[in-house]
Amino acid sequence: MSLESELRSERVSHLRLSGFTAVPAGTSVRDALGRMRSERNTVCLITKERSLTGIFTERDVLRKVVDVADVLDGPIDAVMTADPISVGPDASAASALGLMDKHHIRNLPVVDASGQVVGSMTHMAVIEWLAAHYPVEVLNRPYDPERFPRKAEGG
Amino acid sequence: MSETLTNEITLTRKDFVSDQTVRWCPGCGDYSILAQVQRVMPELGVEKEKIVFISGIGCSSRFPYYMDTYGIHSIHGRAPTLATGLAIANPDLNIWVVTGDGDGLSIGGNHLIHALRRNVNMKIILFNNRIYGLTKGQASPTSRVGKVTKSTPMGTIESPVNPISLALAAEATFVARSIDSNPQHLAEVLSKAAAHKGTAFVEVYQNCVIFNPDEWNALSDRTNRDEVTLNLEHGMPLIFGKDKDKGIRMRGFTPEVVSLADVSLDEILVHDATSKPLASILGSMENPEYPAPMGVIRDVRKPTYAAGIMEQIAQAKAKRGVGDLNKLYRNDDLWTVSAREENQSEMAGELPLTLDEEYLDELGRAAVETTPVQDQLTEENVSALNPKVPITVDAGSSLSRAIRQMNRHNIGCLIVTDEEDRLSGIFTERDVLMRVTGLVDDLAHAAIGDYMTPNPIALKADPPIAQALHLMSLHGFRHLPLVDEENRPTGVISFRDVVEYLNRSLA
Ligand SMILES: Cc1ncc(C[n+]2csc(CCOP(=O)(O)OP(=O)(O)O)c2C)c(N)n1
Ligand code: SF4
Ligand SMILES: [Mg+2]
Repeated sequence: MSLESELRSERVSHLRLSGFTAVPAGTSVRDALGRMRSERNTVCLITKERSLTGIFTERDVLRKVVDVADVLDGPIDAVMTADPISVGPDASAASALGLMDKHHIRNLPVVDASGQVVGSMTHMAVIEWLAAHYPVEVLNRPYDPERFPRKAEGG
Repeated sequence: MSETLTNEITLTRKDFVSDQTVRWCPGCGDYSILAQVQRVMPELGVEKEKIVFISGIGCSSRFPYYMDTYGIHSIHGRAPTLATGLAIANPDLNIWVVTGDGDGLSIGGNHLIHALRRNVNMKIILFNNRIYGLTKGQASPTSRVGKVTKSTPMGTIESPVNPISLALAAEATFVARSIDSNPQHLAEVLSKAAAHKGTAFVEVYQNCVIFNPDEWNALSDRTNRDEVTLNLEHGMPLIFGKDKDKGIRMRGFTPEVVSLADVSLDEILVHDATSKPLASILGSMENPEYPAPMGVIRDVRKPTYAAGIMEQIAQAKAKRGVGDLNKLYRNDDLWTVSAREENQSEMAGELPLTLDEEYLDELGRAAVETTPVQDQLTEENVSALNPKVPITVDAGSSLSRAIRQMNRHNIGCLIVTDEEDRLSGIFTERDVLMRVTGLVDDLAHAAIGDYMTPNPIALKADPPIAQALHLMSLHGFRHLPLVDEENRPTGVISFRDVVEYLNRSLA
């Protein structure tokens, strides 16, 4: 079975989605950054009347904020990506991964039928899925392979 | 600036990793438990010098060597006993007992029961692989009826002990269960245990890949585990299934699994970690008849043993004054033991350190069928991912220069090197978000060295892809530097590279 076929039978909602910071449109970039930092999230979703209107990620911070004058106190709307691509919770993990590859995006908001954002899919979800799926190969490895016992000896 | 930064930095997972070679078999579930304990430790906010790991005998009991804290590899089955003494002698300590199903339930069964009923302030992690691992595969008190092992060639005829039910019968104040193959769940349960005052008992289903490899297959299989696990959350209904479409309700005295399509939510049991009868019911629910309850089964507050003792000592002192230990010792019944001439020991010599035949047999057992994904993970090395050439800067570089460089190359990560071009740090877009933007006014006069992560974990000598995945999943890293023998950066891989590679090569 290939990775893709295994991921095809897995729904996005079954993956471990990442958390996100949610702010209303019009929030200042500075406030959004403060929230992202205190909530330890690397992605911020912008909503208007509860529906998703934009996304702002750590890459945007690097490209459009940190070294650019006069954006910090402006609205987040100016630096976000409007109308982001999203998927429903029932989409297959494989198709979500395909979308991320095709559009070169690293955060894919997962939005349910009522318009509520339930999480953000990242490559980390796939890594964690792989780790849990193949614990013997991935999870249960020595921390440092240089200190691998030459003789396995049950204890 | 660097000063305020160092103040913020407390202990990290790395601080709890000892320099000892881990001797568990590759693939053993003990690795996962160790990694999660090391992940949770920094969150306790306790100095390392106040933490002690005490174990008995067994593979699992090798645990204290691998933790960079105080540790005692003690006597078979007696870890709870030593821990009790320590908890009374120094109530400030943060004490963890690590035991196995053999260590804790065979030879140490009594010690465990009494530690639990005394509510000594300690955390007990029982690694349940349903086998004696260290002694190479004999039946343990948790082995299922009929289990064929080295000591039960025709299958065991003894009924297994259910560790959760045993702990509840011993009046344990905190009882929980988790599994090695679900690290996030395990970490959550361990944090909750850590927060408990009194004895916290955590059973962890653990895979012994050598002597009992199929024991937890159903519960570990990532695609199916939600169908067979009941995740407990205090105050929440007992609902499970991948699509949360099944629940538990009571029929008379017996819990039953029902489909939420047929039964209304009002009939579904709601978890209450303070209810003793409910805890007994949950403890008695065994897989495969029921989904395996996972999480905190019982959590109640009672006075701890040390507190009770201290109180009695204070009362006794108030009434009868401070005692005199010497006087007590010299009371009566004293005699002198005189030295006897001893023969010189004939035991001096060296232990034979040859490879164990029996063990080689186990390794030579018919190979388990592996999937192409598994082969790819363990047989292909990270060089196959085409690591990117690292963009390096020195620690004195200004933030403004570093950020320009990242944007020019359209990369999310810079490698910081020292005068001899050796890896000294890593600076990523996460640092730009978390530590720089809006916090540093003058980017041109701030040095990257003050904002980078120093001495990052790096991959050496082209390990298998699985090793890269391991570190990424363990630490949540998105980038991993590759270094040569001299610790000079030779490349960088990102988790996107790994996922893309697997996707491409397996399509
Ligand atoms: C007094 C004594 N009795 C018996 C033994 C042999 N012995 C060593 S470890 C062990 C059981 C280990 O089983 P468990 O606690 O489940 O640990 P595991 O290796 O499975 O992690 C036994 C019986 C011993 N070392 N000392
Ligand atoms: S014998 Fe089993 S329990 Fe012991 S280290 Fe090996 S895999 Fe782990
Ligand atoms: Mg065991």
